[in-house]
Amino acid sequence: MCGIAGVVFKDRKLHPVGEIMTRMLDALQHRGPDSAGFSIYGGLGLGENEYLLNIEVKEKSGLIEQVKKIVNTVTPIEKEEIIPSVENYNIYRCKIALNSFDELKPLIMDIDKIDDVIVLNGSHSFEMIKDVGSVKEIADRYDTYSKMGTHAIGHTRFSTESIVDRYHAHPFQSYITPDITVVHNGQITNYWKIRDPLERKGHIFETNNDTECIVHYIANKIYEGYKLEEALEQSIIDMDGPFSYIVGTPNGVGIAKDQLGLRPGVLAENDEVFAIASEEVSLRAVMDTHEIDQISPGESRAYTI
Amino acid sequence: MREIEIDAGSMVPRDLNRAVKQAAKEYDKIIIKNPNAMHYMVAGLTDEVEILIDGSAGYFAGTMIDGANIHITGNAGWFPADNMTAGEVIVDGAAGDGVGQGIYGGTVVVRRNVGSRTGEIMKNGTIIIGGNSGFMSGLFMMGGRIIVLGDISDDAGESIIRGAIYVMGDIKSLGKNAKIVEVDEEDKEELKKLLPAYGFDLEEEKYSKFRKIVPRSKRPFYGGKESEEG
Repeated sequence: MCGIAGVVFKDRKLHPVGEIMTRMLDALQHRGPDSAGFSIYGGLGLGENEYLLNIEVKEKSGLIEQVKKIVNTVTPIEKEEIIPSVENYNIYRCKIALNSFDELKPLIMDIDKIDDVIVLNGSHSFEMIKDVGSVKEIADRYDTYSKMGTHAIGHTRFSTESIVDRYHAHPFQSYITPDITVVHNGQITNYWKIRDPLERKGHIFETNNDTECIVHYIANKIYEGYKLEEALEQSIIDMDGPFSYIVGTPNGVGIAKDQLGLRPGVLAENDEVFAIASEEVSLRAVMDTHEIDQISPGESRAYTI
Repeated sequence: MREIEIDAGSMVPRDLNRAVKQAAKEYDKIIIKNPNAMHYMVAGLTDEVEILIDGSAGYFAGTMIDGANIHITGNAGWFPADNMTAGEVIVDGAAGDGVGQGIYGGTVVVRRNVGSRTGEIMKNGTIIIGGNSGFMSGLFMMGGRIIVLGDISDDAGESIIRGAIYVMGDIKSLGKNAKIVEVDEEDKEELKKLLPAYGFDLEEEKYSKFRKIVPRSKRPFYGGKESEEG
Protein backbone atom coordinates (compact mmCIF):
# COMPACT_ATOMS: atom_id res chain seq x y z
CA MET A 1 0.00 0.00 0.00
CA CYS A 2 2.53 2.65 1.21
CA GLY A 3 1.90 6.20 2.33
CA ILE A 4 3.47 9.27 0.73
CA ALA A 5 3.54 12.90 1.77
CA GLY A 6 5.09 16.20 0.77
CA VAL A 7 5.01 19.73 2.13
CA VAL A 8 6.38 23.09 0.98
CA PHE A 9 6.44 26.37 2.88
CA LYS A 10 5.94 29.07 0.29
CA ASP A 11 7.88 31.82 2.11
CA ARG A 12 11.19 29.95 1.53
CA LYS A 13 12.03 30.39 5.21
CA LEU A 14 13.05 27.64 7.58
CA HIS A 15 10.21 25.88 9.36
CA PRO A 16 10.09 22.78 11.58
CA VAL A 17 9.39 20.54 8.56
CA GLY A 18 11.03 17.56 10.28
CA GLU A 19 8.42 17.65 13.01
CA ILE A 20 5.63 18.37 10.53
CA MET A 21 6.63 15.52 8.22
CA THR A 22 6.89 13.21 11.23
CA ARG A 23 3.26 14.00 12.05
CA MET A 24 2.20 13.62 8.41
CA LEU A 25 3.86 10.22 8.19
CA ASP A 26 2.65 9.05 11.59
CA ALA A 27 -0.87 9.72 10.31
CA LEU A 28 -0.07 7.38 7.40
CA GLN A 29 1.53 4.67 9.54
CA HIS A 30 -1.36 2.28 8.82
CA ARG A 31 -0.41 2.36 5.12
CA GLY A 32 3.01 0.85 5.69
CA PRO A 33 4.64 -0.67 8.78
CA ASP A 34 7.96 -1.86 7.30
CA SER A 35 10.09 1.25 7.08
CA ALA A 36 9.84 5.00 6.76
CA GLY A 37 11.89 7.84 5.41
CA PHE A 38 12.29 11.57 4.99
CA SER A 39 14.00 14.01 2.64
CA ILE A 40 14.18 17.32 4.46
CA TYR A 41 15.28 20.12 2.16
CA GLY A 42 16.77 23.51 2.82
CA GLY A 43 18.03 23.20 6.38
CA LEU A 44 21.42 21.53 6.07
CA GLY A 45 23.33 24.76 5.58
CA LEU A 46 26.26 23.13 3.80
CA GLY A 47 28.79 25.27 1.99
CA GLU A 48 29.38 25.13 -1.74
CA ASN A 49 30.56 21.65 -2.80
CA GLU A 50 30.00 20.28 0.69
CA TYR A 51 28.09 17.01 1.02
CA LEU A 52 26.63 14.86 3.76
CA LEU A 53 27.07 11.09 3.44
CA ASN A 54 24.81 8.64 5.26
CA ILE A 55 26.47 5.25 5.38
CA GLU A 56 25.08 2.03 6.84
CA VAL A 57 27.88 0.12 8.57
CA LYS A 58 27.57 -3.23 10.32
CA GLU A 59 28.87 -3.38 13.89
CA LYS A 60 32.19 -5.01 13.16
CA SER A 61 35.64 -4.14 14.34
CA GLY A 62 37.55 -1.82 12.00
CA LEU A 63 34.74 -1.37 9.48
CA ILE A 64 34.14 2.33 10.09
CA GLU A 65 37.90 2.89 9.85
CA GLN A 66 37.85 1.25 6.41
CA VAL A 67 35.11 3.65 5.33
CA LYS A 68 37.03 6.65 6.68
CA LYS A 69 40.17 5.52 4.88
CA ILE A 70 38.41 5.47 1.51
CA VAL A 71 36.77 8.84 2.11
CA ASN A 72 40.01 10.38 3.29
CA THR A 73 41.81 9.30 0.14
CA VAL A 74 39.42 11.53 -1.81
CA THR A 75 38.80 14.34 0.66
CA PRO A 76 39.28 14.98 4.37
CA ILE A 77 36.34 14.25 6.63
CA GLU A 78 35.20 17.59 8.05
CA LYS A 79 32.71 16.33 10.61
CA GLU A 80 31.38 12.93 11.61
CA GLU A 81 28.72 11.28 13.73
CA ILE A 82 27.66 7.71 14.50
CA ILE A 83 23.96 7.04 15.00
CA PRO A 84 23.10 3.59 16.40
CA SER A 85 20.40 1.84 14.41
CA VAL A 86 18.87 -1.63 14.81
CA GLU A 87 20.02 -5.18 13.99
CA ASN A 88 23.73 -4.53 14.70
CA TYR A 89 24.01 -1.63 12.31
CA ASN A 90 25.16 1.94 12.79
CA ILE A 91 24.69 4.91 10.54
CA TYR A 92 27.99 6.67 10.00
CA ARG A 93 27.45 10.26 8.89
CA CYS A 94 30.20 12.48 7.62
CA LYS A 95 30.51 15.89 6.06
CA ILE A 96 32.95 16.24 3.21
CA ALA A 97 33.90 18.71 0.48
CA LEU A 98 34.38 17.70 -3.16
CA ASN A 99 35.67 19.57 -6.15
CA SER A 100 32.41 18.96 -7.97
CA PHE A 101 29.17 16.98 -7.79
CA ASP A 102 30.59 14.58 -10.41
CA GLU A 103 32.96 13.17 -7.75
CA LEU A 104 30.11 12.13 -5.45
CA LYS A 105 28.80 9.00 -7.20
CA PRO A 106 32.28 7.47 -7.82
CA LEU A 107 33.13 7.97 -4.13
CA ILE A 108 29.84 6.31 -3.13
CA MET A 109 30.59 3.36 -5.43
CA ASP A 110 34.04 2.95 -3.88
CA ILE A 111 32.61 2.90 -0.36
CA ASP A 112 29.92 0.42 -1.43
CA LYS A 113 32.65 -2.08 -2.37
CA ILE A 114 33.33 -2.72 1.34
CA ASP A 115 31.43 -5.75 2.61
CA ASP A 116 28.65 -4.95 5.10
CA VAL A 117 28.74 -1.28 4.17
CA ILE A 118 26.31 0.60 1.94
CA VAL A 119 25.92 4.30 1.33
CA LEU A 120 22.30 5.23 1.92
CA ASN A 121 22.71 8.60 0.28
CA GLY A 122 24.90 11.61 -0.33
CA SER A 123 23.33 15.04 -0.45
CA HIS A 124 24.03 18.74 -0.57
CA SER A 125 20.73 20.55 -0.04
CA PHE A 126 18.70 18.00 1.88
CA GLU A 127 18.98 15.54 4.71
CA MET A 128 17.79 12.01 4.11
CA ILE A 129 16.66 9.93 7.05
CA LYS A 130 15.36 6.44 6.40
CA ASP A 131 15.32 3.23 8.37
CA VAL A 132 13.29 0.15 9.20
CA GLY A 133 10.62 0.41 11.88
CA SER A 134 7.75 2.71 12.66
CA VAL A 135 7.69 6.44 12.00
CA LYS A 136 7.89 7.24 15.71
CA GLU A 137 10.79 4.85 16.28
CA ILE A 138 12.72 6.38 13.40
CA ALA A 139 11.80 9.91 14.46
CA ASP A 140 13.16 9.23 17.96
CA ARG A 141 16.27 7.48 16.61
CA TYR A 142 17.23 10.40 14.35
CA ASP A 143 15.49 13.26 16.16
CA THR A 144 13.51 14.31 13.11
CA TYR A 145 11.56 16.67 15.37
CA SER A 146 14.47 19.10 15.49
CA LYS A 147 15.06 19.29 11.72
CA MET A 148 14.36 22.62 10.10
CA GLY A 149 13.81 23.15 6.39
CA THR A 150 11.79 24.75 3.61
CA HIS A 151 10.15 21.60 2.28
CA ALA A 152 10.14 17.84 2.70
CA ILE A 153 8.84 14.56 1.35
CA GLY A 154 8.28 11.32 3.24
CA HIS A 155 7.13 7.72 3.06
CA THR A 156 5.76 4.81 5.04
CA ARG A 157 6.50 1.52 3.32
CA PHE A 158 4.41 -1.60 2.87
CA SER A 159 6.85 -3.76 0.98
CA THR A 160 5.55 -5.63 -2.07
CA GLU A 161 8.30 -5.86 -4.67
CA SER A 162 11.62 -5.95 -2.87
CA ILE A 163 13.19 -6.71 0.46
CA VAL A 164 12.67 -4.78 3.65
CA ASP A 165 15.86 -3.10 4.72
CA ARG A 166 17.25 0.33 5.33
CA TYR A 167 18.53 0.77 1.79
CA HIS A 168 15.20 -0.15 0.17
CA ALA A 169 13.30 2.24 2.41
CA HIS A 170 12.15 5.33 0.54
CA PRO A 171 13.11 8.01 -0.42
CA PHE A 172 15.34 6.89 -3.27
CA GLN A 173 17.90 9.30 -4.66
CA SER A 174 19.44 9.73 -8.09
CA TYR A 175 22.91 11.15 -8.77
CA ILE A 176 22.18 12.07 -12.39
CA THR A 177 21.53 15.57 -11.15
CA PRO A 178 21.90 16.80 -7.56
CA ASP A 179 19.43 16.14 -4.80
CA ILE A 180 16.44 14.58 -6.55
CA THR A 181 14.49 12.15 -4.37
CA VAL A 182 11.29 10.15 -4.80
CA VAL A 183 8.76 8.44 -2.56
CA HIS A 184 6.29 6.11 -4.24
CA ASN A 185 3.08 4.20 -3.68
CA GLY A 186 2.46 1.65 -6.43
CA GLN A 187 4.11 -0.43 -9.11
CA ILE A 188 5.71 0.51 -12.44
CA THR A 189 4.74 -2.36 -14.71
CA ASN A 190 6.83 -1.31 -17.72
CA TYR A 191 9.89 -1.06 -15.48
CA TRP A 192 12.39 -2.50 -17.98
CA LYS A 193 11.09 -0.30 -20.77
CA ILE A 194 11.87 2.73 -18.59
CA ARG A 195 15.14 1.38 -17.21
CA ASP A 196 16.72 0.20 -20.46
CA PRO A 197 17.12 3.60 -22.19
CA LEU A 198 18.41 5.14 -18.96
CA GLU A 199 21.07 2.43 -18.64
CA ARG A 200 22.02 2.93 -22.28
CA LYS A 201 22.76 6.55 -21.36
CA GLY A 202 25.15 5.25 -18.69
CA HIS A 203 23.00 5.75 -15.63
CA ILE A 204 23.67 3.18 -12.93
CA PHE A 205 20.93 1.21 -11.22
CA GLU A 206 21.78 -0.21 -7.79
CA THR A 207 18.58 -2.22 -7.27
CA ASN A 208 15.65 -3.74 -9.18
CA ASN A 209 13.28 -1.52 -7.25
CA ASP A 210 10.83 0.42 -9.40
CA THR A 211 11.11 3.52 -7.20
CA GLU A 212 14.78 3.76 -8.07
CA CYS A 213 13.69 3.62 -11.71
CA ILE A 214 11.33 6.58 -11.19
CA VAL A 215 13.94 8.73 -9.48
CA HIS A 216 16.48 8.15 -12.27
CA TYR A 217 13.79 8.84 -14.89
CA ILE A 218 12.82 12.17 -13.26
CA ALA A 219 16.43 13.18 -12.56
CA ASN A 220 17.33 12.43 -16.18
CA LYS A 221 14.44 14.58 -17.44
CA ILE A 222 15.50 17.46 -15.18
CA TYR A 223 19.11 16.99 -16.32
CA GLU A 224 17.86 17.27 -19.91
CA GLY A 225 16.19 20.60 -19.15
CA TYR A 226 12.65 19.65 -18.22
CA LYS A 227 11.01 21.62 -15.45
CA LEU A 228 9.68 19.50 -12.58
CA GLU A 229 6.10 19.97 -13.81
CA GLU A 230 7.07 18.89 -17.34
CA ALA A 231 8.97 15.85 -16.10
CA LEU A 232 5.98 14.75 -14.04
CA GLU A 233 3.58 15.19 -16.97
CA GLN A 234 5.81 13.19 -19.30
CA SER A 235 6.27 10.44 -16.72
CA ILE A 236 2.52 9.85 -16.60
CA ILE A 237 2.58 9.25 -20.35
CA ASP A 238 5.67 7.05 -20.28
CA MET A 239 5.00 4.91 -17.20
CA ASP A 240 2.47 2.09 -16.91
CA GLY A 241 0.99 0.65 -13.76
CA PRO A 242 -0.80 1.89 -10.67
CA PHE A 243 1.19 4.65 -9.01
CA SER A 244 1.24 7.88 -7.10
CA TYR A 245 4.64 9.30 -6.38
CA ILE A 246 6.10 12.48 -4.93
CA VAL A 247 9.33 14.04 -6.13
CA GLY A 248 11.50 16.29 -4.01
CA THR A 249 13.97 18.70 -5.62
CA PRO A 250 16.10 21.47 -4.11
CA ASN A 251 13.33 23.89 -5.08
CA GLY A 252 10.06 22.12 -4.45
CA VAL A 253 7.89 19.04 -4.55
CA GLY A 254 5.46 17.51 -7.03
CA ILE A 255 3.10 14.57 -7.33
CA ALA A 256 2.10 12.40 -10.31
CA LYS A 257 -0.74 9.91 -10.47
CA ASP A 258 -1.32 7.13 -13.01
CA GLN A 259 -3.84 7.51 -15.80
CA LEU A 260 -6.36 5.14 -14.24
CA GLY A 261 -6.08 6.78 -10.84
CA LEU A 262 -5.40 3.52 -9.04
CA ARG A 263 -3.40 5.01 -6.18
CA PRO A 264 -4.58 7.87 -3.98
CA GLY A 265 -3.37 11.43 -3.79
CA VAL A 266 -4.90 14.50 -2.11
CA LEU A 267 -3.80 18.09 -1.91
CA ALA A 268 -4.44 21.08 0.33
CA GLU A 269 -3.03 24.53 -0.17
CA ASN A 270 -3.26 27.96 1.40
CA ASP A 271 -1.20 31.15 1.20
CA GLU A 272 1.55 29.64 3.35
CA VAL A 273 1.68 25.92 2.62
CA PHE A 274 1.36 23.44 -0.26
CA ALA A 275 0.79 19.91 1.03
CA ILE A 276 0.18 16.58 -0.72
CA ALA A 277 -0.35 13.11 0.69
CA SER A 278 -1.98 9.73 0.25
CA GLU A 279 -4.80 10.63 2.62
CA GLU A 280 -6.53 13.63 4.12
CA VAL A 281 -5.56 12.57 7.62
CA SER A 282 -1.95 13.34 6.74
CA LEU A 283 -2.78 16.79 5.37
CA ARG A 284 -4.60 17.59 8.58
CA ALA A 285 -1.29 17.17 10.39
CA VAL A 286 -0.06 20.32 8.64
CA MET A 287 -3.16 22.46 8.16
CA ASP A 288 -6.62 22.67 9.64
CA THR A 289 -8.79 22.69 6.56
CA HIS A 290 -11.58 20.73 4.99
CA GLU A 291 -10.73 22.13 1.53
CA ILE A 292 -9.12 19.03 0.06
CA ASP A 293 -8.52 18.40 -3.67
CA GLN A 294 -8.37 14.90 -5.07
CA ILE A 295 -5.52 14.44 -7.54
CA SER A 296 -7.29 13.19 -10.67
CA PRO A 297 -6.19 10.19 -12.74
CA GLY A 298 -3.32 11.23 -14.97
CA GLU A 299 -2.85 14.51 -13.12
CA SER A 300 0.34 16.01 -11.74
CA ARG A 301 0.74 18.94 -9.37
CA ALA A 302 3.88 20.68 -8.21
CA TYR A 303 5.01 23.68 -6.22
CA THR A 304 8.45 25.22 -6.55
CA ILE A 305 9.90 28.00 -4.39
CA MET B 1 -34.48 11.33 21.17
CA ARG B 2 -31.73 9.55 23.08
CA GLU B 3 -28.30 10.84 22.04
CA ILE B 4 -24.76 9.81 22.87
CA GLU B 5 -21.35 11.24 22.01
CA ILE B 6 -18.39 9.00 21.32
CA ASP B 7 -14.91 10.54 21.22
CA ALA B 8 -12.99 8.72 18.49
CA GLY B 9 -9.81 10.70 19.16
CA SER B 10 -7.95 7.93 20.91
CA MET B 11 -9.69 4.93 19.34
CA VAL B 12 -8.77 2.54 16.54
CA PRO B 13 -11.49 1.70 13.99
CA ARG B 14 -12.35 -1.66 15.53
CA ASP B 15 -12.91 -0.15 18.98
CA LEU B 16 -14.95 2.72 17.57
CA ASN B 17 -17.16 0.40 15.54
CA ARG B 18 -17.74 -1.84 18.56
CA ALA B 19 -18.73 1.23 20.59
CA VAL B 20 -21.06 2.45 17.81
CA LYS B 21 -22.74 -0.95 17.47
CA GLN B 22 -23.25 -1.14 21.22
CA ALA B 23 -24.62 2.41 21.40
CA ALA B 24 -26.95 1.78 18.45
CA LYS B 25 -28.91 -0.68 20.57
CA GLU B 26 -29.72 1.96 23.20
CA TYR B 27 -29.62 5.33 21.45
CA ASP B 28 -31.36 6.97 18.49
CA LYS B 29 -28.50 9.32 17.60
CA ILE B 30 -24.76 8.79 17.90
CA ILE B 31 -22.37 11.72 17.52
CA ILE B 32 -18.79 10.76 16.68
CA LYS B 33 -16.39 13.49 17.76
CA ASN B 34 -12.76 13.83 16.61
CA PRO B 35 -13.04 11.34 13.74
CA ASN B 36 -9.81 12.70 12.20
CA ALA B 37 -10.43 11.00 8.82
CA MET B 38 -10.37 7.52 10.37
CA HIS B 39 -10.98 4.60 7.99
CA TYR B 40 -13.87 2.08 8.16
CA MET B 41 -16.05 4.16 10.46
CA VAL B 42 -19.51 2.68 11.11
CA ALA B 43 -18.68 -0.39 9.01
CA GLY B 44 -21.38 -3.04 8.88
CA LEU B 45 -23.90 -1.32 11.14
CA THR B 46 -27.35 -2.87 10.62
CA ASP B 47 -29.35 -0.73 13.06
CA GLU B 48 -31.54 2.09 11.77
CA VAL B 49 -29.87 4.79 13.80
CA GLU B 50 -28.79 8.36 13.12
CA ILE B 51 -25.03 8.93 13.07
CA LEU B 52 -23.31 12.31 12.96
CA ILE B 53 -19.60 12.18 12.12
CA ASP B 54 -18.35 15.57 13.27
CA GLY B 55 -15.45 16.06 10.86
CA SER B 56 -13.88 14.07 8.03
CA ALA B 57 -14.01 10.33 7.41
CA GLY B 58 -11.34 8.17 5.79
CA TYR B 59 -11.87 5.18 3.50
CA PHE B 60 -15.02 3.01 3.48
CA ALA B 61 -17.13 5.24 5.74
CA GLY B 62 -20.47 3.50 6.27
CA THR B 63 -19.49 0.43 4.27
CA MET B 64 -22.18 -2.28 4.26
CA ILE B 65 -24.65 -0.37 6.43
CA ASP B 66 -28.27 -1.44 6.31
CA GLY B 67 -30.57 1.37 7.32
CA ALA B 68 -28.43 3.86 9.24
CA ASN B 69 -28.47 7.55 8.36
CA ILE B 70 -24.91 8.87 8.41
CA HIS B 71 -24.09 12.56 8.14
CA ILE B 72 -20.41 13.46 7.66
CA THR B 73 -19.79 17.16 8.22
CA GLY B 74 -16.31 17.15 6.61
CA ASN B 75 -14.92 15.15 3.68
CA ALA B 76 -14.84 11.43 2.99
CA GLY B 77 -12.00 9.38 1.52
CA TRP B 78 -12.35 6.51 -0.94
CA PHE B 79 -15.48 4.32 -1.16
CA PRO B 80 -17.96 6.02 1.19
CA ALA B 81 -21.14 3.90 1.56
CA ASP B 82 -19.49 0.97 -0.24
CA ASN B 83 -21.99 -1.89 -0.69
CA MET B 84 -24.66 -0.34 1.51
CA THR B 85 -28.06 -1.98 1.27
CA ALA B 86 -30.27 0.71 2.81
CA GLY B 87 -29.98 4.05 4.60
CA GLU B 88 -28.26 7.34 3.81
CA VAL B 89 -24.71 8.62 3.74
CA ILE B 90 -24.51 12.39 3.38
CA VAL B 91 -21.15 14.13 3.02
CA ASP B 92 -21.08 17.91 3.39
CA GLY B 93 -17.63 18.25 1.82
CA ALA B 94 -15.82 16.43 -0.97
CA ALA B 95 -15.07 12.71 -1.37
CA GLY B 96 -12.52 10.48 -3.03
CA ASP B 97 -12.84 7.66 -5.53
CA GLY B 98 -15.59 5.05 -5.65
CA VAL B 99 -18.40 6.96 -3.95
CA GLY B 100 -21.29 4.50 -3.49
CA GLN B 101 -19.30 1.61 -4.94
CA GLY B 102 -21.53 -1.45 -5.34
CA ILE B 103 -24.50 -0.13 -3.38
CA TYR B 104 -27.67 -2.24 -3.39
CA GLY B 105 -29.95 0.51 -2.12
CA GLY B 106 -30.16 3.70 -0.09
CA THR B 107 -28.91 7.17 -0.96
CA VAL B 108 -25.45 8.70 -0.99
CA VAL B 109 -25.07 12.47 -1.23
CA VAL B 110 -21.78 14.34 -1.60
CA ARG B 111 -22.23 18.11 -1.74
CA ARG B 112 -18.90 18.98 -3.40
CA ASN B 113 -16.60 17.27 -5.94
CA VAL B 114 -15.77 13.58 -5.92
CA GLY B 115 -12.97 11.49 -7.42
CA SER B 116 -13.15 8.73 -10.00
CA ARG B 117 -15.40 5.71 -10.58
CA THR B 118 -18.41 7.08 -8.71
CA GLY B 119 -21.08 4.38 -8.41
CA GLU B 120 -18.96 1.63 -9.94
CA ILE B 121 -20.79 -1.71 -10.03
CA MET B 122 -23.75 -0.24 -8.12
CA LYS B 123 -26.82 -2.42 -8.34
CA ASN B 124 -29.50 -0.05 -7.14
CA GLY B 125 -29.97 3.03 -4.99
CA THR B 126 -29.20 6.69 -5.61
CA ILE B 127 -26.02 8.74 -5.66
CA ILE B 128 -26.18 12.55 -5.81
CA ILE B 129 -23.02 14.58 -6.42
CA GLY B 130 -23.30 18.33 -5.88
CA GLY B 131 -20.06 19.11 -7.75
CA ASN B 132 -18.04 17.29 -10.40
CA SER B 133 -17.52 13.56 -10.74
CA GLY B 134 -14.30 12.06 -12.12
CA PHE B 135 -13.08 9.46 -14.55
CA MET B 136 -15.23 6.37 -15.36
CA SER B 137 -18.19 7.38 -13.22
CA GLY B 138 -20.81 4.64 -13.39
CA LEU B 139 -18.23 1.98 -14.32
CA PHE B 140 -20.04 -1.33 -14.83
CA MET B 141 -23.16 0.17 -13.27
CA MET B 142 -25.81 -2.53 -12.91
CA GLY B 143 -28.75 -0.39 -11.81
CA GLY B 144 -29.89 2.62 -9.81
CA ARG B 145 -29.22 6.25 -10.61
CA ILE B 146 -26.39 8.73 -10.32
CA ILE B 147 -27.14 12.46 -10.45
CA VAL B 148 -24.22 14.83 -11.05
CA LEU B 149 -24.94 18.55 -10.75
CA GLY B 150 -21.50 19.56 -12.02
CA ASP B 151 -19.39 18.09 -14.83
CA ILE B 152 -18.58 14.46 -15.43
CA SER B 153 -15.12 13.48 -16.65
CA ASP B 154 -13.82 11.00 -19.25
CA ASP B 155 -15.42 7.64 -20.06
CA ALA B 156 -18.67 8.32 -18.23
CA GLY B 157 -20.79 5.19 -17.93
CA GLU B 158 -17.95 2.88 -18.99
CA SER B 159 -19.50 -0.56 -19.63
CA ILE B 160 -22.79 0.49 -18.03
CA ILE B 161 -25.30 -2.37 -18.08
CA ARG B 162 -28.40 -0.90 -16.43
CA GLY B 163 -29.40 2.26 -14.59
CA ALA B 164 -28.99 5.93 -15.52
CA ILE B 165 -26.59 8.80 -14.93
CA TYR B 166 -28.11 12.29 -14.97
CA VAL B 167 -25.62 15.09 -15.65
CA MET B 168 -26.39 18.81 -15.46
CA GLY B 169 -22.91 20.01 -16.51
CA ASP B 170 -20.53 18.92 -19.25
CA ILE B 171 -19.94 15.32 -20.24
CA LYS B 172 -16.28 15.08 -21.25
CA SER B 173 -16.56 11.72 -22.98
CA LEU B 174 -18.56 8.53 -22.85
CA GLY B 175 -17.31 5.06 -22.02
CA LYS B 176 -18.03 1.89 -23.98
CA ASN B 177 -21.72 0.96 -24.14
CA ALA B 178 -22.85 4.40 -22.94
CA LYS B 179 -25.08 6.79 -24.87
CA ILE B 180 -26.72 10.12 -24.12
CA VAL B 181 -30.47 10.64 -24.29
CA GLU B 182 -32.50 13.73 -23.50
CA VAL B 183 -34.39 13.76 -20.23
CA ASP B 184 -38.17 13.48 -20.55
CA GLU B 185 -40.88 14.92 -18.30
CA GLU B 186 -40.93 11.81 -16.16
CA ASP B 187 -37.18 12.15 -15.53
CA LYS B 188 -37.57 15.82 -14.64
CA GLU B 189 -40.36 15.08 -12.20
CA GLU B 190 -38.23 12.41 -10.57
CA LEU B 191 -35.34 14.87 -10.17
CA LYS B 192 -37.65 17.62 -8.88
CA LYS B 193 -38.87 15.32 -6.16
CA LEU B 194 -35.46 14.01 -5.24
CA LEU B 195 -33.05 16.96 -5.29
CA PRO B 196 -34.85 19.47 -3.03
CA ALA B 197 -35.24 16.72 -0.44
CA TYR B 198 -31.46 16.85 -0.06
CA GLY B 199 -31.12 20.63 -0.12
CA PHE B 200 -30.40 21.09 -3.83
CA ASP B 201 -32.90 23.78 -4.81
CA LEU B 202 -32.52 24.30 -8.55
CA GLU B 203 -34.31 26.86 -10.68
CA GLU B 204 -36.96 25.35 -12.93
CA GLU B 205 -34.95 25.91 -16.15
CA LYS B 206 -31.98 23.98 -14.80
CA TYR B 207 -33.92 20.74 -14.91
CA SER B 208 -33.93 21.05 -18.70
CA LYS B 209 -30.13 21.13 -18.71
CA PHE B 210 -29.84 17.55 -17.49
CA ARG B 211 -28.82 14.86 -19.92
CA LYS B 212 -29.11 11.19 -19.22
CA ILE B 213 -26.46 8.54 -19.83
CA VAL B 214 -27.89 5.08 -20.34
CA PRO B 215 -26.60 1.77 -21.71
CA ARG B 216 -26.65 1.09 -25.42
CA SER B 217 -27.13 -2.59 -24.75
CA LYS B 218 -27.60 -4.90 -21.78
CA ARG B 219 -25.24 -7.39 -23.39
CA PRO B 220 -22.35 -5.34 -24.71
CA PHE B 221 -19.70 -8.05 -24.51
CA TYR B 222 -21.51 -11.03 -25.96
CA GLY B 223 -24.75 -11.84 -27.67
CA GLY B 224 -26.04 -10.36 -30.87
CA LYS B 225 -26.92 -6.91 -32.06
CA GLU B 226 -26.17 -3.79 -30.10
CA SER B 227 -29.85 -3.28 -29.36
CA GLU B 228 -30.44 -6.80 -28.09
CA GLU B 229 -32.42 -6.53 -24.85
CA GLY B 230 -31.27 -2.97 -24.61
